[in-house]
Amino acid sequence: MTNKDNLAKILSGCKVGESESFSQLIDIYANRLYGYFYRLTGDKNISDDLLSELFVKLVEKIGSFKGGVFESWLWKIASNIFYDYLRDKQRQSKLLEKQKSQLELKSTEPRKSDGEQLDNLQRQLEKLDADTKELVMLRFYSQLSFKEIAQMRAEPIGTTLSKLHRGIKKLRELMEQKL
Amino acid sequence: MNNRNEENLEELFGKFFNPEEAGQAEEDIRKTEQILSENPAPKPDEELIADIKAQVTAVLLHKTAFRQTVYKVAAVAAIFLVLAGISVKLFEKQQSERIQYASIMPAVLWESDDIITDDADLAVLNAEIDQIENDAIALRLGTANSNGNGDLTELETELMEIDNDFWKG
Repeated sequence: MTNKDNLAKILSGCKVGESESFSQLIDIYANRLYGYFYRLTGDKNISDDLLSELFVKLVEKIGSFKGGVFESWLWKIASNIFYDYLRDKQRQSKLLEKQKSQLELKSTEPRKSDGEQLDNLQRQLEKLDADTKELVMLRFYSQLSFKEIAQMRAEPIGTTLSKLHRGIKKLRELMEQKL
Repeated sequence: MNNRNEENLEELFGKFFNPEEAGQAEEDIRKTEQILSENPAPKPDEELIADIKAQVTAVLLHKTAFRQTVYKVAAVAAIFLVLAGISVKLFEKQQSERIQYASIMPAVLWESDDIITDDADLAVLNAEIDQIENDAIALRLGTANSNGNGDLTELETELMEIDNDFWKG
């Protein structure tokens, strides 16, 4: 049985509410999705929460998957969850800003869980804007083609390519400077 | 699945960049992918995965339980509606029967414009009264072919009979 057939079988099981099928789906995608969230947030605890939220949402939304590229559909949900988190974070930052202006600097710095050390890549990623960073991580972790990414983001493929190229060029420069 | 492996980056970048930029963009992408591969993100803890699977199972059970509850409520509601429908029908039937039994006067007479014509008993009574009236007038005028006192006695007897019949119903 090919990977495609196997995934189709798992998805059929998920649609009828089989717990075992969801378990298999988690085993297949958890690492990549966790990497995606971690590289975007730089925080293990937040990544834990976002990954849990994603799979719970997946159970609720699996009925709305009508075929096509599953990864594209899955990462669309992941992307929405990340942007929701980002909006909440910005809202909280604004509230804090009103109360304590000194907290503003701390809130914009990459947060990390207790005892967690950020690797060099994570430190350089924090220097990219959220949208570019999300696009680079989407390309790497979702393993979607540029065409599929452009469709998912509902933008022309040329725009996706330019944004991504600017982002990776900057990231490469930052990484090479550090090396 | 996706078709990333079939993607021809050289051709794709060639459509949007000049040859020099296209080559550079392709190299940047390959180099960045290499950097990301060499710096893997941490993996989720096994406890986290177990916890997520437990959450998913709980959500599935909740969904199933909710669906079953909805079906049960729908079934009970359907039974209730059927029973209510049958009860209303029976009530209507009983009520119409009760009206028929309770009615002293036939429905035809309620709807009649001329009760005396439509009710046979009343018609007979009416005819008898007319006859008695005619007899009384004839007696008073002395045009009746009778022997006086005998006729009066006969008339009184008839009136008494009618009176008795009337109160008997």
